[in-house]
Amino acid sequence: MKPLTELHMQYTRRAFLGRSTLGLGGIALGSLLNAQAANRNAIAGLADLTHFAPKAKRVIYLFQSGGPSQLDLFDHKPNLAKRFGEEVPESIYPAERKTTMTSGQKSFPCAPSTLKFAQHGQAGTWLSHALPHLAKCIDDVCIIKSMHTEAINHDPAAMMFQTGSVIPGRPSMGAWVSYGLGSANANLPSFVALTSNGRAKAGQPLYDRLWGAGFLPGRFQGVKFRAQGDPILDLYNPTGVTRSQRRRMLDSLNKLNQKQASRFNDPAIATRIAQYELAFRMQMSVPELIDVQREPQHILDQYGPDATKVGKYAYNCLLARRLAERGVRFIQLYHRGWDAHNNAPKQVPAQCRDTDRPTAALLLDLKQRGMLDDTLVIWGGEFGRTVYCQGNLTQEVYGRDHHPNCFTYWMAGGGVRGGMTYGETDDYSVNVTENPVHVHDLQATIMHQLGIDHERLTYRHQGRYFRLTDVHGKVVKAVLG
Amino acid sequence: MARALFILLPFLLGNLARGVELDFARDVRPVLSDACYHCHGPDAKVRKAKLRLHDRAAALEAGVIADGEMLRRLTSDDPDERMPPVDSNRPLRDTDRAKLVEWLRDGAAWPSDDRHWAFVPPKRPRLAKVQDADWSRNGIDHFVLARLEREGLAPSPEAGKATLLRRVTLDLTGLPPTLTELDAFLGDQSPGAYAKAVDSLLDSPRYGEHMALDWMEASRYADTDGYQNDRLRYMWVWRDWLIRALNDNMPFDRFITEQMAGDLLPNRNFFTQVATGFNRNHRINSEGGSIPDEWIVEYVADRVETMGTMFLGLTLNCARCHDHKYDPIAQNDFYRLFAFFNAIDEAGLGPNNGNSPPFIPVPKSWPDLSVKEAQFVVPEPMKIKVVQTSVPRPQPGATNTVMVLHELPKPRDTYRLERGLYDQPDKSERLHPATPPVLGQWNDQWPRNRLGLARWLVNPAHPLTARVTLNRMWQRYFGVGLVKTSENFGVQGESPSHPALLDWLATEFIRHRWDIKAMHRLIVTSATYRQSSSASSTLLKRDPENRLLSRGPRKRLTPYSIRDAALFTSDLLNGKIGGPSVKPYMPPGIWRSISNASYKQDKGDKLYRRGMYTYWRRTVPPPTMMTFNAAAREFCTVRNELTTTPLQALTMMNNKTFVEASRFLAERMMKPKGQGPRQRIAEAFRRVTSRDPRKAELDLLINDFQFYQKDFQKNPKAAKRLISLGERPRDSRQPTAQLAAYTLLANTLLNLDEAVMQN
Repeated sequence: MKPLTELHMQYTRRAFLGRSTLGLGGIALGSLLNAQAANRNAIAGLADLTHFAPKAKRVIYLFQSGGPSQLDLFDHKPNLAKRFGEEVPESIYPAERKTTMTSGQKSFPCAPSTLKFAQHGQAGTWLSHALPHLAKCIDDVCIIKSMHTEAINHDPAAMMFQTGSVIPGRPSMGAWVSYGLGSANANLPSFVALTSNGRAKAGQPLYDRLWGAGFLPGRFQGVKFRAQGDPILDLYNPTGVTRSQRRRMLDSLNKLNQKQASRFNDPAIATRIAQYELAFRMQMSVPELIDVQREPQHILDQYGPDATKVGKYAYNCLLARRLAERGVRFIQLYHRGWDAHNNAPKQVPAQCRDTDRPTAALLLDLKQRGMLDDTLVIWGGEFGRTVYCQGNLTQEVYGRDHHPNCFTYWMAGGGVRGGMTYGETDDYSVNVTENPVHVHDLQATIMHQLGIDHERLTYRHQGRYFRLTDVHGKVVKAVLG
Repeated sequence: MARALFILLPFLLGNLARGVELDFARDVRPVLSDACYHCHGPDAKVRKAKLRLHDRAAALEAGVIADGEMLRRLTSDDPDERMPPVDSNRPLRDTDRAKLVEWLRDGAAWPSDDRHWAFVPPKRPRLAKVQDADWSRNGIDHFVLARLEREGLAPSPEAGKATLLRRVTLDLTGLPPTLTELDAFLGDQSPGAYAKAVDSLLDSPRYGEHMALDWMEASRYADTDGYQNDRLRYMWVWRDWLIRALNDNMPFDRFITEQMAGDLLPNRNFFTQVATGFNRNHRINSEGGSIPDEWIVEYVADRVETMGTMFLGLTLNCARCHDHKYDPIAQNDFYRLFAFFNAIDEAGLGPNNGNSPPFIPVPKSWPDLSVKEAQFVVPEPMKIKVVQTSVPRPQPGATNTVMVLHELPKPRDTYRLERGLYDQPDKSERLHPATPPVLGQWNDQWPRNRLGLARWLVNPAHPLTARVTLNRMWQRYFGVGLVKTSENFGVQGESPSHPALLDWLATEFIRHRWDIKAMHRLIVTSATYRQSSSASSTLLKRDPENRLLSRGPRKRLTPYSIRDAALFTSDLLNGKIGGPSVKPYMPPGIWRSISNASYKQDKGDKLYRRGMYTYWRRTVPPPTMMTFNAAAREFCTVRNELTTTPLQALTMMNNKTFVEASRFLAERMMKPKGQGPRQRIAEAFRRVTSRDPRKAELDLLINDFQFYQKDFQKNPKAAKRLISLGERPRDSRQPTAQLAAYTLLANTLLNLDEAVMQN
């Protein structure tokens, strides 16, 4: 790469600062000017952030799309077994907030979990047998059994977790974090999305707006790493074009554009030049990043046989760790296939076979590198499942419909108390009886761990100051260490 | 702190006032609104201390202004006293606090007619007086120049002819001029040459296509429903209608009326019915298990919100859950507007693929309908079928239908919804269709339905419709509207940079009987528009956004134009107008990786249609367009923030569409026989940028070409791979290495700042 002239560097620095380009849109010049910047907070976020000392520097959010069944994984209800087939009383489960997939059922029979539960770790945390690997690191995990939401369908419920609103249009949590905290790596986006399919190869669609920037400037949106084709859209040169040819083209483009800059005096041209340089650097940094084969065999073994299969959940977990190491602030995985309407006893363990080992491996891996302390890991979906059976109930087979009133999330690392179970539900796992945690509360807590007061991180749009948690949300202090 | 503020006061106010007295509406209320209305404003539910600072009489009566309480609170150091409260997160900048302090100390003048400027109907202003009598070409320029003279600035000289033709051609058609058009214009020395060029651009069918795009984005046009599995719908017939209406220069009042109420017009017909698809472009939820009543509320609210943003420039949706916090729109006002749209014979749940009722069949002969076919059609009644235990689904409309509006025999009852929730109606009062009184008179001759609503919107006395429309038009030319917040003309919106100009344009629009093309002509033939866009460092520092208009507009091409221009200059563009959406190149697995639908790419000519016809799947919108900041079509969007990102660079350099266009441009370069690289590159440069390259630029590019050619001669396989990209076969007569080298060179040209910018 040819050095830019001193004059030009001053010019571009000014332009860069003047435009206060952040996130992927503006992370170029930090390192163009200062090569060491890559490992520091290369790009400033908002001037007044953080609001207080952060416990977590980054977030890895393992979103389990479709709505995992709390009843078959975490929310152990031993007394339910004797109520097999009994009607769930309407006093417990009112008719109004049932989806129209089951609201017309003549009967709502109780379907206790067929999966076995046992206590694990020093804390004696109850877990289903479907989660043997998580069981081994359960003392690092804080289980929240009392999550609740309003939305009863996938799309609005997922948007609620992502953006704090059921109606599309608001920024996702990762976009808020990018906007607030900026980027810690000059060569990578600050918010990355990774998707994977469940074994059933079906499930809820994962739309771009889940990691969208909403009304925030587009540069804060999550960049999706892809399993097919280029890992980032159009990352690689067209076949037949070499890196030296590309370098030459960029040098010429820079020269021609710079002439244009002096003619029009438009700082946007300097930004454009800088973005082309960043693109060129990403062409190097991303392949290095995704080359998981470089990992030692024992690490690959930890994540299991899918660790090197691009686009699998295990691969994404490993990639998440590599992204976290490189300073990416918000890494969100989306794994499909938890929507167990028909056969939960089969579907839930099948999902666990794909996800349990890599999830636990990620926790262990972060821990052995000393990164778990400042990495907040979150696991959960958009809602839970009903205790009543959808469709026909037998001893072996039951389906579960969507259930927003109570479900389970867990968090680990990032200043959260391990070995803890928080919140309680009633005997049916239908309603929260103790310490309810709303989606906005969870969001407020995540922001809090990043050093952000969720009430103070706002963006003015349509004449109003918007925030992630709308006008709600309380930090769940009890789960913090 | 308080003392420091007073010492700073003259400094803080220095820039702002310069001896000009504070004007309540312009200077004071925006600050009150931003800092105080949240607790002391229109929303009764959260009002503190019963203080109503949005209401003159109540505020004066409260006494806090006269007795010094407000001043004391604003300047107090005591955290328990200070306003806004320290922990309230209501930001009040020092300059704004100083403004309030100054206003209070000077006696707090609060005029009795204190209506927000945008709610007072525009009065036609006199042309502003200017010293330089020669510069102005039309009314616009008087207002712009008067302001410049007041600021001690002079306008920039007129842009060069080539620059100007490129600018106006891109602005009016979304494509750059051809070399023939460029030569003809440069050769035409007659004084009317520019006006003639403008007229022919306004007559070009490309005009309607290009103008349709803003409207499509604002009216959230898409080819799918937008929720969960994002099922297919068929609305392209509405897009056809739109392009045609714009090309035919349908007067704007009729344009709006047909879209809002084409099914209710006395002389309604098939076309006016198709126009109503505007209010069906919103998302529809087909997710199994959804509760229908919940979603009907969303659709109706979306229509109110869209009308608010597009025609009124107001954030009406704020009043969905509570009284508007800043503007005088009560929650009941929102639901009275809601009532206009709450009478459609529609289903809450979508049909799972296909149009949702009401829809009408489109004759095969569309758009050339026979007299009989062009008649109004009664949509087939909705038939709900219960599937999956209890999921009520309507019948789907097939590919040959289009969604329209159609009234129920009896409207649904409308109530205020507590917090906007479908299951929390306040049944104590049924609400009937009505418009907010603060936004202008209702004429009792108008029917109390959507037709009346449309008549109200296009009433010449309406304070907002013409202003908001002309402001958006201004925004598309200058990058920023006269009111920067083109989506919000309310109290929290930004005040106009040139209020008299905005009013003059609005009244001019009505005087010209809502003639859209006349207004475009007016703007692009103004001296203001024709200025050169280069700026000195001093000017750039003083006015980075060009709000004073002392130079011409310089802006990036739209996401659609970036692609269209590349296809056009390389001669790949398929010029067909209208018809169903097409599926051009898409990176592999782009749908499949995140949903159960797969993308079936089109073949042949369909790959090269204009970007406006690209299939728009709402949950996975075309990534190339999104990379360049297209609106996602989820909800009404009238202003997109443009950002520059590395993803854009990657797209322009590596995306199949752009690489193929580069190769085609290369072939085009090589077609004329007997030319050398100098001529070929110079001509391609001109095709892309509309100007001749300077010698140094050309030398640089020729060197590059020779470098690439040598490279490819050494590695013919690589050359072949590069020039084999894309489905359109290459010209096999051309030498491989040379074609590959020209391809890289053409790609350089398409990546120039000048290629994606309008100067």
